[in-house]
Amino acid sequence: MKSKSWIILIILFLVIFDVFVWGRVIFSKPIEDSEIYFLDVGQGDSELVILPNNVKVLIDGGPNSRLLSQLDSILKPFDRYFDLVVLSHSQTDHFNGLVDVLKRYQVGAFIFNGRNGTASSWQELIKAVEENKVPVIILAAGDKIDYLNSRFNFLLPDRNLIQSSDLNETTLVALLKTQGAKVLFTGDIGAEAENYLIQRYDLDVDVLKVAHHGSKYSSSAGFLSEILPKVAVIEVGKNSYGHPTAGVLNRLASVGAQIFRTDNDGTIKLEIKNKEINVFKAK
Amino acid sequence: MKIHDIAFYAAGFFILGVLAAGIGLNKSVVILVTILATAVFLLLGCFTKRRQNFWLAGLSLLIIAGAFYYFNWVNHQIKNISIVFNEKIEFQGIVVGYPERGSQQKLAVELKPPYAGKVFVKTPANPRFNYGDLINFEGTIKNPAPVSYANYLAKNGIFGILEYPQAELVAENQGSFLKSKLFKLKEKILVVIQRSLASEKAAFLAGITLGERAEFSKEFEEAMSQSGTTHLVALSGYNISVIVIAMFALLNRFLKRRLTFVLTTLVIFGFVLMTGAQASVVRAAIMGFIALLAGQVGRLYSVRNAIILAAFFMILANPRVLVFDTGFQLSFLALLGIVYLLPAIQRFFYFNKSAGFLFWRENFLTTLSAQLAVAPILVLNFGNFSPVSLLANILILSVIPLTMSLGFILGAIGFVSYYFSLVFGWFINLLLSYEVFIIKFFGQLDFLQIDYFSGFLAFVYYLILIIFVFCVVFRQKGSRKLMN
Repeated sequence: MKSKSWIILIILFLVIFDVFVWGRVIFSKPIEDSEIYFLDVGQGDSELVILPNNVKVLIDGGPNSRLLSQLDSILKPFDRYFDLVVLSHSQTDHFNGLVDVLKRYQVGAFIFNGRNGTASSWQELIKAVEENKVPVIILAAGDKIDYLNSRFNFLLPDRNLIQSSDLNETTLVALLKTQGAKVLFTGDIGAEAENYLIQRYDLDVDVLKVAHHGSKYSSSAGFLSEILPKVAVIEVGKNSYGHPTAGVLNRLASVGAQIFRTDNDGTIKLEIKNKEINVFKAK
Repeated sequence: MKIHDIAFYAAGFFILGVLAAGIGLNKSVVILVTILATAVFLLLGCFTKRRQNFWLAGLSLLIIAGAFYYFNWVNHQIKNISIVFNEKIEFQGIVVGYPERGSQQKLAVELKPPYAGKVFVKTPANPRFNYGDLINFEGTIKNPAPVSYANYLAKNGIFGILEYPQAELVAENQGSFLKSKLFKLKEKILVVIQRSLASEKAAFLAGITLGERAEFSKEFEEAMSQSGTTHLVALSGYNISVIVIAMFALLNRFLKRRLTFVLTTLVIFGFVLMTGAQASVVRAAIMGFIALLAGQVGRLYSVRNAIILAAFFMILANPRVLVFDTGFQLSFLALLGIVYLLPAIQRFFYFNKSAGFLFWRENFLTTLSAQLAVAPILVLNFGNFSPVSLLANILILSVIPLTMSLGFILGAIGFVSYYFSLVFGWFINLLLSYEVFIIKFFGQLDFLQIDYFSGFLAFVYYLILIIFVFCVVFRQKGSRKLMN
């Protein structure tokens, strides 16, 4: 008698569970717009791109595990998968947070520029990639990733820049075209790489991730006047370098860009649909 | 005097001696007071002609034994240390405990010759070090400050602090085989939990099942402290008793009594080692073991003796815990509250004895008695105590056993299939969402905060509690006599 009621209970449980799963399959609406989050991870970079149908690309992970709580607040609790994790370049304020992500989430593939980091924690990243058997893909200028109507164009580094003694200049620069809008992810590139970009490509962008947390050695006037961003996002936190510098803020303002910064505004969310960009601030 | 009474008083007097030495009384004072006490008991014995008083007179001499045990133990501990302070040195050391990991790593490191002793090393979160790693350090070891922190570390046998030294791994697996295996197991369970749940919930689940506390954000830790729910993730006796009862109930179905006893004991032992032998865990484990043993040999389980024996053995192993381990104090005080204060409150207010819907009445009384018993220590050590915690605890405690059980099952499932554990995680997620919500909700209420208490007030407070318990007990006895 007792075992019978157990069986009934288990069957009942499974039926409810089944209804729940199919309910999610049938009733969850496909997401049609694209979303880009510039995550408030302190002094460092981390961007989450969510393309239609919840395809997720995480670019950089910030300096520490603060990224995790940011992801907690954005992703659904059962969403434990990233299609791609992209590292712009191998400096700790960009990759440290990714170590946690690689350990705690399923990741489709890990993409980076092929330059190994020199910081001691780089080994932890490699270990996390290997232990979780995440495929590694090395990309450079000229590579592309297509998904439905969205495309990542990788503009840099080329053969010269990847060998630069300054890791910042090795940044894997990506131009995302989605829903008719263009977003440029610049990592930590300086004026030299910026010049490369405008010499080689005919660039005009809607959204610019401002390079190197607003450092004065980046975001040169020539570069900005060429690409003419409408929205400029600075990912920055408490720091001793004076980021973002007044010079950069002025240069951005003078090309008419609307400026957002993660230290004042918190996480910044862009909703993009049919060329229209809506910006939301957390703070 | 019966044998169990002798054991009780012997242990009690010994502990009293350790207490006296621990709070800083010197040898002559202790001896003098003890002799006075002995004399009083002797006189009482002569007047009342009760043999009990002669026994007490003899046993009270154990106060001196306790005090001297403390002094000798501390001397011995200090004699075996050889650390060079405030000077840059290069040395090798082995990580001897489970590393605390969060935004930084905290390692307990045992120095290799020519040095000796343990130091506390802080390093960046990466690269990770593990239990049993032999590391080459270069840096300056400092004395811990302030005194309260130094005492706290000394309790763990740690006498120096080394912050952000140069650290290079020399060799792995230099620790004990059993411990390193258990820590690896713990790490694997943690990974399963972290891969199936959002980070905050994962941290909470890891806290209530494995006592892992390093991963909490500052805000969440604050919320737990404000809402009086920190004890849940500190692996209190509560968690252990859930494990013991669940293990016993499960095994007893399939196995013989004796085998169940042995297996449960082994599991508890392994669990204690795995979770780093915090005072509350050890206490609960010893008492759980005594309870199991009593059932095994068919003796009556005396809570009074179990409590004092657990305290006695822990103090014997490390006499510093009595005065310098807040966890030890909280654990025993909470237990005393549940064992003695709870029935008194129940009688005094004529509480219904049934547990109530979802055990709310039981949880309420347990929480109330435990919180009343620990409140002064909480205020003295952590600076706040909130009556709101009562409500928070009642709302949470009802679902904790289920969450814990599911948490352990999740850990086990993770070894079989990641996807299965992911699906299973959805269910735990529901419970955890509720618990995290309650903690955060009550964590932000900050009215009725009590944040001042002095040592003297604490003394008066406990005196009142003890008198209350005695009064209720005597009234009960009195009314029984009348009825007879």
